[in-house]
Amino acid sequence: MNKHITEILDNASMAALSEIELNEVRAHALECGSCRSAYEAARLSAVVLKSRAHVVTEPSPFFQTRVMAALREQRETESVPAFSRLWKSAKVLVSSMALTTAALGVLSFTLPATPDEQALSAYSAESVIMGQSGDEQLTYDQVLSTVYEDDDDAR
Amino acid sequence: MDLDLARQAQVGDESAFAEIVRRYSPRVFSVASRFFRQRSLVEEAAQEVFLKAYTQLGSFEGRGSLEGWLTRIATNTCLNMVRSSKRRPESTVSDLTDDEAGWLDQQSGDGAQPSVENDLVATDLADRLLSVLSPEDQQALLMIDGEDASIKEVAEVTGWSESKVKVRAFRARKKVREAMEKLLGHRNKQLDSAAD
Repeated sequence: MNKHITEILDNASMAALSEIELNEVRAHALECGSCRSAYEAARLSAVVLKSRAHVVTEPSPFFQTRVMAALREQRETESVPAFSRLWKSAKVLVSSMALTTAALGVLSFTLPATPDEQALSAYSAESVIMGQSGDEQLTYDQVLSTVYEDDDDAR
Repeated sequence: MDLDLARQAQVGDESAFAEIVRRYSPRVFSVASRFFRQRSLVEEAAQEVFLKAYTQLGSFEGRGSLEGWLTRIATNTCLNMVRSSKRRPESTVSDLTDDEAGWLDQQSGDGAQPSVENDLVATDLADRLLSVLSPEDQQALLMIDGEDASIKEVAEVTGWSESKVKVRAFRARKKVREAMEKLLGHRNKQLDSAAD
């Protein structure tokens, strides 16, 4: 018997092999080293798989209660009106928008103004009219006296 | 009887659904135990199965048994859970623990004495061998070789064709046998080097 027997071993479980097939496998395994180790491996695999199949976790006494509680919770979630669920989703959006606005507000007040902004603020309406820079501002009296002096000179 | 119970539960009779859970949880746990060893995972899967079953009660027409219907839901739910969880790395079958080596030595001799410890070692070994397979192939092999289920039974539970089940079982058996051969090869080398 020269035909290798690995296909017989892989085709069906060990328990399902007929007596004729088993005899064929054993006879060949005696002559062929590689098939002998294949047969041994198949036999041991069958043993461990049987052991594994016998491992069954039993339900705990609280399992039924746990499922019923989960079911009630699921039904409550489903019974919440659609508008409430929409509002719940919208709330997230609204609060994130409010946060962004607040963050922008805080940033605009706390961060120092850029040099360009500082330069712009130095030119107030009066100084532009008067043709003066911020450093050379005159008092109101000085402005008036200067204006009237100019008028007097003109007369 | 099953159909009545399912209809009552469908219209909101909590006690009817509680009865379904009580009656069929051993079956659902048995299916989930094929996929998971940890009790917490088995319970989580079983709970998921019953919650799904509750929402799908309308699709149970009473043609088959409620147990068979729940078994199909359980199988699909567990397969999905295993697929979505992180897969274990394959080919973790190179090293043997001392217990496993001892168990293999006993098996190669007169056979290991039946004991809780030996069963545990064999089960751990099975899990290591099964880790080289896809969840679907594991399912097919455990049902056929472990539980002596027929090809037809596996096909009914999984919804696969019988030829698909045969192919899966053949492929799985071959891979597991080869993985076991590797383990035996390692063990023989260990024994040879110890003898030298």
